[in-house]
Amino acid sequence: MPIRSKAQRGRPENGHFSDRGGTELTQKSIADAGTPPVRQRKMSFGTYMRRYGTLYILLLLPVAFFLIFRYYPMQWIALAFKKNNIIQPLWTVPWVGLDWFDKAFKTKAFITAIKNTLVLNLMDLVCGFPAPIILALLLNELTFKRFKKLTQTILYLPHFLSWIIISGLATRLLADNDGLLNLVYKQMKGNSSAYIPFLSNPQYWRWTYIVLGIWKEAGWGTIIYLAALTNISPELYEAAAVDGAGRFSRMWHVTLPGLRPTIITLLIMRMGYILGSEFDRPLAMSNKLVTDVSQLISIFVYEQGIQGLKYSLTTAVGLFQSVIAVIFILGTNALAKRIGERGIM
Amino acid sequence: MKRLLALLLTLALLPVAFSAFADAEFVDGKFTEPVKLTVEVYNRYNDGGTDPTSSVYAQYIHDGMLEKYNIDVEFVSIGRWSEVDDIGNLLAAGSAPDVCVTYSYPTILTYADMGGIVDLSGPLAQYKDELGNLWNLLGDYNIYYDQDPESGVLWCVEAKLANNARINTFIRKDWLDKLGLAVPTTEAEFEACLIAFRDNAETLLGADADKMIPYLTTSDIGWMNNQVIVSHIPNDISDETAYVYGYDSRQVLMPGAKEGVRVLNKWYNEGLIWKDFVLNDSDQADNLIKSGWVGAFGHNYDYPYRNGEDSIQASIQRAAGPEAAFVAIEPFTNDAGIPRKILSDTVDRKCFLPSTCKNVHAALLYLDFISDPETIKFLQVGKEGIVHEVTEDGAYKLLTMDAENKAVWIQNSLNNIDHTITVNGQYLGDATAASFALGYAAVDPELLTIAYSVAMNEGRVFAKFSVGAIAAENEVGSSLDNYRDTWLCKAVVAPVDEFDAVYDEGQREYLEDKEGQSIIDERAAKILEVYGVEVPTDLLTK
Repeated sequence: MPIRSKAQRGRPENGHFSDRGGTELTQKSIADAGTPPVRQRKMSFGTYMRRYGTLYILLLLPVAFFLIFRYYPMQWIALAFKKNNIIQPLWTVPWVGLDWFDKAFKTKAFITAIKNTLVLNLMDLVCGFPAPIILALLLNELTFKRFKKLTQTILYLPHFLSWIIISGLATRLLADNDGLLNLVYKQMKGNSSAYIPFLSNPQYWRWTYIVLGIWKEAGWGTIIYLAALTNISPELYEAAAVDGAGRFSRMWHVTLPGLRPTIITLLIMRMGYILGSEFDRPLAMSNKLVTDVSQLISIFVYEQGIQGLKYSLTTAVGLFQSVIAVIFILGTNALAKRIGERGIM
Repeated sequence: MKRLLALLLTLALLPVAFSAFADAEFVDGKFTEPVKLTVEVYNRYNDGGTDPTSSVYAQYIHDGMLEKYNIDVEFVSIGRWSEVDDIGNLLAAGSAPDVCVTYSYPTILTYADMGGIVDLSGPLAQYKDELGNLWNLLGDYNIYYDQDPESGVLWCVEAKLANNARINTFIRKDWLDKLGLAVPTTEAEFEACLIAFRDNAETLLGADADKMIPYLTTSDIGWMNNQVIVSHIPNDISDETAYVYGYDSRQVLMPGAKEGVRVLNKWYNEGLIWKDFVLNDSDQADNLIKSGWVGAFGHNYDYPYRNGEDSIQASIQRAAGPEAAFVAIEPFTNDAGIPRKILSDTVDRKCFLPSTCKNVHAALLYLDFISDPETIKFLQVGKEGIVHEVTEDGAYKLLTMDAENKAVWIQNSLNNIDHTITVNGQYLGDATAASFALGYAAVDPELLTIAYSVAMNEGRVFAKFSVGAIAAENEVGSSLDNYRDTWLCKAVVAPVDEFDAVYDEGQREYLEDKEGQSIIDERAAKILEVYGVEVPTDLLTK
């Protein structure tokens, strides 16, 4: 059976519409089946509102959410350019220009935080981003349905553990002397003072941080890819098989191209996060011996803003992060479009 | 018709609504209308603890204030261990309680700069006649402790630290006895004891020998090992020098502190200190001590005896038999051979009023009520026959309560300090001295008597200097304290031959990158300016 185009797939076959193919195809099919086209008559505002008004009312809640919790607080961005004062009305607080940005970039802790954030995010991007894709590909190859479901459930579970719990587990498992893994290592080496400094050496700590992140989120991350996989027609696989493609070839030539739009979209979103940082993860995982590499921007903001009460300084840092995020999102988006993808905007 | 009814109802309710805003007058020592007052109270979320906003103690305060002043007190709970963050958030949101309390003076100063705190100098002078209890308890010293010498503004009053004993070193007396060792009186003897613990782990712990921890610290190096560090500070350090180098509450910036940390580094590398201390928190440390695997440690002067049945002392007795006991010792002596202890000044938490406080007069009356000896007594020892009994010599002895009474009368903090915001520590008038050792349920009073006398022996309180706010302190916030622990932890776990390099690099980062030196410089400049005493600012680096 020859491989058919996307548009062809939507046509009725054996008296049924294909369940894959998207809505535009279905409408087209209806038109093909001889249904008279809907008469386009201009609807009065009253009729329109009577018919669709409830939908608008439903929309009110999310719109209100964004107005109150996202747009209203944005006025406080001005604090990044004003004196550090959150008690007086915002408009009465004197302007200070770019002083806070100047101060941030003169603060060594901030420069270290940027560096650490970049390093960990890049490591996470290189190692963590492909993990759910590979996992989804592997899951897709499982033939026994029950086993597949069980595996998926087990893979999702770590996502529901908080970082506090994971850091506790990590200490029990990986501590230099009392950690389970190191106890085994000592036995193997026959040396009671031998250990691998998973948590106490900054370089090892970085990898522990990344690997635990992958362990926690890779399973959960497969969901979106598995959903995208269901959109790939089984006929493509059959056709590829007929053409002599092996398992690996089918993965490479059918599955991966099918996932490409999803991968690109997620990659663009991820690039926007290049200077972003989680808070609970580094806070819970860090310890006094690795602060040189574990101090991320979020921790800097917490220490300087919430603990140190320098709200203007941390607002400036937040604004800086957002601007970088927008630049990266737009840049990656443009790049994606250039190589022929749809992008997100 | 319906609309008319609704309108009438609204009109009828209006006066009721407005009456709440009517100005209550203060006549004959009482407000004419009930005045609402919100008050901060710490919440420790203890297992088996009570809700501090509605416990019997909260109810006592509420009823007392209502009856005495017609002030309707409502408590607002703030997490004890996140209090600085929490109160900062409430102040930022403009919804802080009318009466606030915090340990962090920089927080108060920051918000004062923004115009968010009431200057108490005026109101205190105005209402002084009504605040007899407050003045009796705190005196001018605590009340005006933080007053700016130039402008005269006063953002808070300092609670009284009724007991200024601070830190002790504890050792397992039963282990010493078992190994035939005497109580150590020098650092060398102490070290010999730790080595003996390490080498006799099987005798002391049997099957748990591999769990042996001769000496325990947490990542709060400066606090847990304060006596080791303080013993390396020169005995003749002047009060002025101690002030200039005294920003850090653990004395780790004082000349000589490095040598104290070096001792810890040596012990760590000899396997005498808990290896994984940096990776674990203080709860885990407590559990190890309670399990009976720890030979010695330093902490608050009464730490092993707090919390009755759940105390470290009661726990090790359950784990290792009735003879098990941690006793306070003083083996660390300074260059003059004196086992010096640095004691706290008699100040504690800071009570302040945010500018959103609706009735400053009522708030000050609250501070007076909470400082009334009768109020303090009830809050600290509860009801006679249930929480305490009075001994023949007039002392208050706390009782071990049954489950039913405990559920109602338990105090979430020792001496109920979360409620007695103007005093920290037992304050029972003439009965205080006799009651002290009896204030710890389930612990032999003898151990407390020893702990208190050891903690106070050769104690020194560095003099206070009124030089006004130090801007650099405000600038660094808590990041310096966080960094201090990182610096000292790294130094303790470094290989012995790298100790100097690691310690010096950490100190450099503390002083230069984290701007710790700017505090030393500013303090030295102020001391010179106000008191005319010159203190060199390069003692740490030369």
